[in-house]
Amino acid sequence: MTSIVNATTNPAVLDWPQTDEGFAVPYDVFTSPDVYAREQERIFRGENWSFVALEAEIPNSGDYKTTFIGDTPVVVTRDDEGGINVIQNRCAHRGALVCRELRGNAAHLECVYHQWAYDLKGKLLGVPFRRGVKGKGGMPKSFDLGAHGLDVLRTESLAGLVFATFSDEAPPLADYLGPTTVAAVTRIFNRPVAVLGDQRQFMHGNWKLYAENTRDPYHASLLHLFHNTFGLYRASQQGASVMDGDGRHSLLYTRASTTDEAVDREIYKDSRSLNSEFRLQDPSLLAGRADFDDDITLVILSIFPNVIVQQIANTLAVRQIVTHGEDGFELVWTHFGYADDDEEMRAIRIKQSNLIGPAGLISMEDGEAVEIVQKAVVRDRERASYIAMGGGRAEDAEHLVTEGAIIGFWEAYRQQMAAA
Amino acid sequence: MDSQALYHQISVLLSRYVHTIDDDELEAWPDLFTEQCVYRVISRENHARGMPVAAMYCDSRAMLIDRVVSLRHANIYEQQSYRHVVSALLVDDNEDGSYSARSNYVVYRTRTNGVTEVYNTGVYEDRIVTDNEGWRFAEKHVIFDTGRIDTLMVIPI
Amino acid sequence: MSSLVRLCAVDEVSEGEPRRVVVDGYPPLAVYQVGDDYFVTADTCTHGMASLCEGYQDGEEIECPYHGGAFNIKSGEPLAFPCTEPLETVPVELADDALWVASRAGA
Repeated sequence: MTSIVNATTNPAVLDWPQTDEGFAVPYDVFTSPDVYAREQERIFRGENWSFVALEAEIPNSGDYKTTFIGDTPVVVTRDDEGGINVIQNRCAHRGALVCRELRGNAAHLECVYHQWAYDLKGKLLGVPFRRGVKGKGGMPKSFDLGAHGLDVLRTESLAGLVFATFSDEAPPLADYLGPTTVAAVTRIFNRPVAVLGDQRQFMHGNWKLYAENTRDPYHASLLHLFHNTFGLYRASQQGASVMDGDGRHSLLYTRASTTDEAVDREIYKDSRSLNSEFRLQDPSLLAGRADFDDDITLVILSIFPNVIVQQIANTLAVRQIVTHGEDGFELVWTHFGYADDDEEMRAIRIKQSNLIGPAGLISMEDGEAVEIVQKAVVRDRERASYIAMGGGRAEDAEHLVTEGAIIGFWEAYRQQMAAA
Repeated sequence: MDSQALYHQISVLLSRYVHTIDDDELEAWPDLFTEQCVYRVISRENHARGMPVAAMYCDSRAMLIDRVVSLRHANIYEQQSYRHVVSALLVDDNEDGSYSARSNYVVYRTRTNGVTEVYNTGVYEDRIVTDNEGWRFAEKHVIFDTGRIDTLMVIPI
Repeated sequence: MSSLVRLCAVDEVSEGEPRRVVVDGYPPLAVYQVGDDYFVTADTCTHGMASLCEGYQDGEEIECPYHGGAFNIKSGEPLAFPCTEPLETVPVELADDALWVASRAGA
């Protein structure tokens, strides 16, 4: 076990231990408020694109949705030219939240405090008592509406996913994502989607613990035991772990089960995971229809920094990370299907939704996993983790028994957090 | 059926329901439902928008059994217990052999550190039937206000 | 036959200083001078409840003091956010150094 002898002198600039074997992440990254503050600046306001909405959530002119990039409130609007705008949700007057609802439809945005009114692109339209009343008061003669609009972010969409960035330097979205990520997104978002509902799950842990979790293909059969208990996914399934760019984005996928019982018994012989004695009393839970021409049945695509796109059997969803301090985050699940799903397909997706989300039969344990790390590392900021499964380097793998993508995430993260 | 007697029966059913869960007698929980039943735990947010995604959705007693088996033998979660409080029950005779019931509920959850918190609150909208095997839920719709689910949800509401 | 009701004297209105007048049968009215002519509209902004006479006149435009919306005085047409509903206009006559509109008293 590797440890750092000296505590970091500047907690906001991390001291990563050198190791001969595996990769070490200092636990400081999960518990330090200074690190969190620095992430808000360097990652969430850095040269990264953050996911904010599906276009299908705001289909009509005037539709809006409020969300967050890191912990900065933003509003996503559909204007009357059909364009999408991502705007900071902060009045140019004295800083109030302009839009206080989760979603809705409005011809313009108006701050309740002093009724400053903005159009759906963030342009200031009017302020009350601008010329005063009966010659008294009013704004200075020099007051120019055009100089007091809302702060608008750079926005780009890919296949119906809306991203935004605070940075003028971030590369175009497709370049930021990289070819593997773009292909994985467009494979799923190959035609218009229809939102089926949201779920919100709060985890008492650092958001990066979830980033690790979704880049970790081999924990599924060891932590999410629903698979094993009822004889489903196994580590002997074929799959791969692929990273994009500098390793910040990760694609994990598996192909349709080639269930090999003998192989699985060998792999799991001593672990608690082997138990396919139970069969579902009602197997209709897993009844489905192929959504794609290929044989890929599971995709976990983690797009740095804040969203995961998933296909698990017939469940399709995006999971957005909203940070709440160094020890908490909300995961917003938006489930969707295709706009052309028939009733039967929709019913399949609704029933299979039992598998995912905060009560998800195969996903709920991620909440527990995040929290048990946060609880255990609380006072060990000078210690570090040990990440070596699959070789201990940020490398792609044509199998699932690896932690390479986790290392890819950390190397990209470390670079972004380094002193400018 | 006399309205007071009806109210009493449904009140008893609801009390049995929550005690079954709170006392960790989950194997008995599916028996409170009819064989072809609906058990749906859905956020008010989704329900109000007409969105169909639910946290839990079962349309047979067998699916309820699967949830219990998964909870007992598969899922991994912090040991926790619930305490339900149910109130404001209103009951109606649907005149078709079934009865409607609407009540408020609060689930307090206690984790291993001994801390009890308000975990989930909302309304039960139930369709209830009775036969020689007793009073049971044909449908139970749990519409919860607590949109932000804390950590995970494994024990049924 | 319509009789007329007197709103005010001509020298009680000047360009840039419209005058609010209340007469039976009408909502509160605003009387304006625009160049050499006079016009009358409803005084209450169609957006909020503000009095347009307390606003700002610029030629044939009147700006509401409340949110800065504006109307064309002659046509009542809304000109600026947030006003979208047109303003009622009333034909006005100048006679005997005063301004008159059709009487609606008892209507």
